[in-house]
Amino acid sequence: MTEKWKDEAWAQDIWYSGKVTRRKLVGYGAGAIGAMMLVPAPWRAAFGAAKPYKIGSEQPLSGPGAIGGKTAVVGLQMSADRINANGGINGRPVQLVLVDDESKPDVGRRKSQKLVEEDDIDVHVGGFLSNICLACMPVWQEAKIVNMITVCLDTTLTTTHCNRYTFRLHDYAPAQAVAFGPLLAKMGKKWHIAYADYAWGQATRDAYAEEIKKNGGEVVGMTGIPLGTPDMTPFLSKISGNFDGLFSIFFGKDGVTIINQAYDLGLSKKYKMAGDGSITEPTNLPAQGSKVDGFVAINRYIPIFQGPLDTPYNKKFVEDAKKRLIAVDPSGPAPDKYVQSNYEALNAMKIAMEKAKFEGRKDTDKLIGALEGLEVKLGYDFPQGDKTLRKADHQAFLTEMIFEVRNGGYKLLEAVPKDKTLVPPACKFTA
Amino acid sequence: MTLASLDRISPRKGRLSHTTVFWMVFAVIMALLVIAPFVLPVFWLKFLTEILIWGLLAMSSDLLLGYTGLISFGHSVFFGLGMYGAAGALLHSHPANLWLAILCGLAGAGGAALFVAYFSTRLRDVYFAITTLIFAQIFYVIIFTWTSVTGGENGLIFSRPHFAIPFLVDFKFDRYTMHWFVLALVAGSYVLLRRITRSPFGMVLQSIRENEARTRAIGYPVDRYKIVAVMLSGLFAGLAGVLYAVQNEFAAPDFVFFITSGDTIIFNVMGGIGTLVGPIVGAGFFQLLRELLSRLFGDQFPYLIPVGMVFIVMIIFLPQGLMGWARRWLNQ
Repeated sequence: MTEKWKDEAWAQDIWYSGKVTRRKLVGYGAGAIGAMMLVPAPWRAAFGAAKPYKIGSEQPLSGPGAIGGKTAVVGLQMSADRINANGGINGRPVQLVLVDDESKPDVGRRKSQKLVEEDDIDVHVGGFLSNICLACMPVWQEAKIVNMITVCLDTTLTTTHCNRYTFRLHDYAPAQAVAFGPLLAKMGKKWHIAYADYAWGQATRDAYAEEIKKNGGEVVGMTGIPLGTPDMTPFLSKISGNFDGLFSIFFGKDGVTIINQAYDLGLSKKYKMAGDGSITEPTNLPAQGSKVDGFVAINRYIPIFQGPLDTPYNKKFVEDAKKRLIAVDPSGPAPDKYVQSNYEALNAMKIAMEKAKFEGRKDTDKLIGALEGLEVKLGYDFPQGDKTLRKADHQAFLTEMIFEVRNGGYKLLEAVPKDKTLVPPACKFTA
Repeated sequence: MTLASLDRISPRKGRLSHTTVFWMVFAVIMALLVIAPFVLPVFWLKFLTEILIWGLLAMSSDLLLGYTGLISFGHSVFFGLGMYGAAGALLHSHPANLWLAILCGLAGAGGAALFVAYFSTRLRDVYFAITTLIFAQIFYVIIFTWTSVTGGENGLIFSRPHFAIPFLVDFKFDRYTMHWFVLALVAGSYVLLRRITRSPFGMVLQSIRENEARTRAIGYPVDRYKIVAVMLSGLFAGLAGVLYAVQNEFAAPDFVFFITSGDTIIFNVMGGIGTLVGPIVGAGFFQLLRELLSRLFGDQFPYLIPVGMVFIVMIIFLPQGLMGWARRWLNQ
């Protein structure tokens, strides 16, 4: 079928009269590229010639971490758009410079170097997989760039591997264990821990084992299950005996597997089920169905409007995030802790940059000073709640939500205030 | 008698021998690589240094793939153990000692190579490849789960050691000296590997590649030759692991995963198997292609798809790799 436009006089003139020469094509092409270069960036209308702050962010946009990484970017973009719509930072717009670490540490390292050397970023806000966060820490330290971690959970990032350029505005396993310990002791005295058998799972296991003991309980057994095990039955079938509860430490699809297979083996009926909140992220709930009912977990953020999360700030955050998340996941999930922590991390960075009158990398020391001990308050910038970024180790403490999963949703049991989640600092800054 | 030795005996009048041309080209390339730090921007200099390291790994694999006819998926283990050996030495020596790191890295890689070689060299073809693959996965699982020693999934991070020769020099590596240090070791390894492949030992390896049964029949202890080849290859791969660890200040289990071995084979195929230089060219081409395509399409586009398509096209139209193609073009 011939398209109508080809019959128009102008089209006949161009295409069928031998007037399209190579020279013309190159000329038009160059003109088009030039015109595109002249089209102003979105913030130009509002900020004129003000030089944008370049916020680098290394995220896994491909590879095994891609789904989480794309979700994390939603939070960052929400924050950047909001900042730019409200006058920017110190009158300057914010420009996100995203790089894909492909979920690999060597690529992450190289892309971080690109952010430093070629993109000339002012600060870094990002990092999803702990191994990549750790691999990139020397890059930020060497370049003297503030690194605000947004998702990486590994405890050592703010303990044995801490450095003065790296900050974490979200929680870590020891603080969650301190918050959860008293309730676990009430739920039962004897516990068995099943955990993902790798660095994060092992560190989290140790933190909970210590807190259960501190609260008068006892850990009678531990079962490590390799990451990504599709059939956990051989491991779970060995879990038996006289104890009160099974505490699980998993994330992602392993969270779905443990819930479904523990139920099928009758463990969920026999024992009280509790665990890390990563098991029951909103994205996992549909696959867990009713088998997860009664599971008690802890998380810094869940998309509910109960207790301290029943605020207009959280409602607005959830509403805005849902609109954007549809682009990443057509099922339109509610925001999870990855969206929340990325959103809040950039907002905290804004406050510190304004406080430090930060102009660029040369002011990194001033920015570190502004971030150390930073207190942020519940509001549109921080829908999760108040936070304190401790000076001694650059680790934040925040309200922890303990909840029960019921009928495909969450029921808040207790909100543990940040002051009751404190863990002594275990960091010595070397540079 | 090798082609090179024939050239030396009877150079054609008025024309330079192959060997002379080779060393002249080698000197020019070395000179360019030496002055690179003064010309290249910081990012691209680090990129080039990393290409040299990956090139060394690929070159080590070429000793097996190109000269002995053995496809090894165990190079990730040798590379990774070189890395972890160096990491262990750097974390436990005060002050961190570069030479100890190299020694420990080579010991780790060499030990693993001996272990893998002992069991796998009795096998041939796909059976050898599968055995090395299984060993790679065993080492990966051990490193991934033995968190107290290896740091598990997070790996180990440490500080870069000084370059120190007692009573002579002691300085902190910067981007220039790091590049030159890597270049010196990679160039030295190349010269050594070239010597090995042209020695009587190397000739026996090539004979094994061409016809293992006949080589055995004329009296060569083939298994022993293969064990030494795997060990030598493992040592050079381990050295690449040490250099990567020293340059990037971390060791991670991801490098022990068999994907690293797969990448190494891709470098060989792209550059030209059995040429030693080819794998370095292949490593550079692959890394550069990946970087440029990621920039062209943007980080949110799955740019590895066009990388894969380029690889397929190369296999179809340049089965001898870039060096094979260049050699054919020069001969024309």
